[in-house]
Amino acid sequence: MSTTVQTDGPRTGKSAKRPGLLHGVTWLVARQHRTALWLIGAATLLGAAMIVYQRGEMVSMLDRLGWPGKDVRLPSDPEGFQYMSGVLGGLPVILGVFLGAPLIAGDQEQGTAQLVTTQSVPRRRWLAAKLIGCLSVVLVSTAVLGALFTWWWEPYREALPAEWLQGEVFDSTGPMPTALSLFLTTCGIAIGMLLRRVVPAMMVTFLFSMAVELAWSEVRGRLATPRLFTYPLNADSPAFLDQAVESDRWIGTADGQLFGWGTCAEQTERATNACIKEHGIVNNVIEYFGYDQMPGMQWTGAGLLLGGTAVVAVFILWWATRRPL
Amino acid sequence: MTPADITEAGDPLSAAALEARGLGKRYGRGWALRDCSFRLPAGRICGLVGPNGAGKSTLLGLAARLVAPTEGELRVFGVPVDDPAAMPRYAFLSQDKPLFKRFTVAETLRMGAELNPGWDMAAAERIVRAGPVPMDARVGTLSGGQRTRVAFALAFGKRPDLLLLDEPMADLDPVARDEMSSLLLSEAVERGTTVVMSSHMLAELEDMCDFLLVIADGRLRMAGDTDELVPAHALVTGLAPDGKPPADLSPHTVVEFRVSGRQFRALLRPHGPLAPDWEVSEPSLEEVLLAHLRSPGTEPLFTRAARIEAEGINAA
Repeated sequence: MSTTVQTDGPRTGKSAKRPGLLHGVTWLVARQHRTALWLIGAATLLGAAMIVYQRGEMVSMLDRLGWPGKDVRLPSDPEGFQYMSGVLGGLPVILGVFLGAPLIAGDQEQGTAQLVTTQSVPRRRWLAAKLIGCLSVVLVSTAVLGALFTWWWEPYREALPAEWLQGEVFDSTGPMPTALSLFLTTCGIAIGMLLRRVVPAMMVTFLFSMAVELAWSEVRGRLATPRLFTYPLNADSPAFLDQAVESDRWIGTADGQLFGWGTCAEQTERATNACIKEHGIVNNVIEYFGYDQMPGMQWTGAGLLLGGTAVVAVFILWWATRRPL
Repeated sequence: MTPADITEAGDPLSAAALEARGLGKRYGRGWALRDCSFRLPAGRICGLVGPNGAGKSTLLGLAARLVAPTEGELRVFGVPVDDPAAMPRYAFLSQDKPLFKRFTVAETLRMGAELNPGWDMAAAERIVRAGPVPMDARVGTLSGGQRTRVAFALAFGKRPDLLLLDEPMADLDPVARDEMSSLLLSEAVERGTTVVMSSHMLAELEDMCDFLLVIADGRLRMAGDTDELVPAHALVTGLAPDGKPPADLSPHTVVEFRVSGRQFRALLRPHGPLAPDWEVSEPSLEEVLLAHLRSPGTEPLFTRAARIEAEGINAA
């Protein structure tokens, strides 16, 4: 039997440049996830169209009410606004569970990970292509929706009752949808890779996302230091505080001693006045986040999440380099 | 010591398609494969034999980089198996032959072209068209035999120097099986591809293989050229009045000993002359393999071509 150990020279059939833009692992990733790509593209367009349409509806309603000439304060956020902010709030979880978790676990479960990793491309290059492809799609889609939602909310924020520090606004505008989505998708990918099964990976990713959302609602109020403002007890609160988010409120004496807001909430006005006199209370003291702090808080939060995303992504590639999938 | 020592086996310096030294893999508490050291010369068709759970798939997985070794090392054509440079040298086919079900056949072959530098599209298309498998059919709609053909095309299109097959034909009907076997042999012989295939079909191995690796209980029991391993054994029949092995057997390595009535039948590796009153015949490959699979405790036997170094192996 002949022994051809080294096949040298050009191997026949080595084709000239194949048509198309994509080659190698990039082509494979795009082809494998073609359906998901179209779905996300279509959903993004639909979401964008809905935001534009609903915003138009709201603007014409505010026009009818005479805003901004008249001081209109809607009793509640328009339904479309609530709906879209709900979608944007749920988007990171949806992407983590349905896009992230099956990304590698699906190939492990179907055996196609074995197929791809026994071709001539190292595991890490294939996974890097998958990660970059998946995260780019998430980035573009959520950035578009986040920017459009910001464009909806920002100019009309004074007419809408939702406070900017509430999750439905804070997490749906600026860089937040993108940062949360990238983080949860990457975590979903890592969970899928470790569990190697699609359905358990989706369930664990869902629970993990819930835990992250819960923790995030605690973190949101700590992304900046609230400011203190003191004004006389019987004065109206100053106008600039309309856009601020109050985090706490006290009553205080002239020398700065603070009492809880309800300290002098007595049954009768006489009793209240007596209490105020007794404690020497002269001021309202308010702790608040100014609206100008919002971009800083969002970018700090986004920075934290993107840092986490980078750590998890590096972990995925390191793990895959170290051992077979 | 053994007759295999005397025969002129392959030159130990010629290239080895696979070379394992102290290779082992542990899952949890148990060893799937342990102390595995051997050499497979290039250009052979090697059968990998052993009972279920013996470690065959683990060995093939180690060679295909799908399993990371716990200890020891494995080289593919002299390149450590964890070096990406080894990847274009081998192709791997397992029993379930995973493919992307939504890809068409043409797209599956394009994947081979995109991921392998030495891709031979002409050869891959030839194998598929001989099926005949339509190029625009989705892989998920193909029959088992057609899918196996596509998987073979993907493996051969890579132009591997080493083809690793983990019972790739186990789920095929006899016709498809025969077709795939002849395809495999003709492609392998034409290119001088080294083949390692695990199989439970001993007759199939006898027809196709000129080299054998026998594994039982996670350890290598026998390795070497088929035409040296078989003559190293003798099938003897003689009288055993008390049902115990006669004293004349003790100089030889007894692989298997069976008594029926006053007669015994033994498969042994003779060391020196056999007793004159025994009836001696040469066993078939199937008889040698079955005897070894039934008696995994026998001292391992390696022919010279399978050895990496004389002392390292016999001590195993």
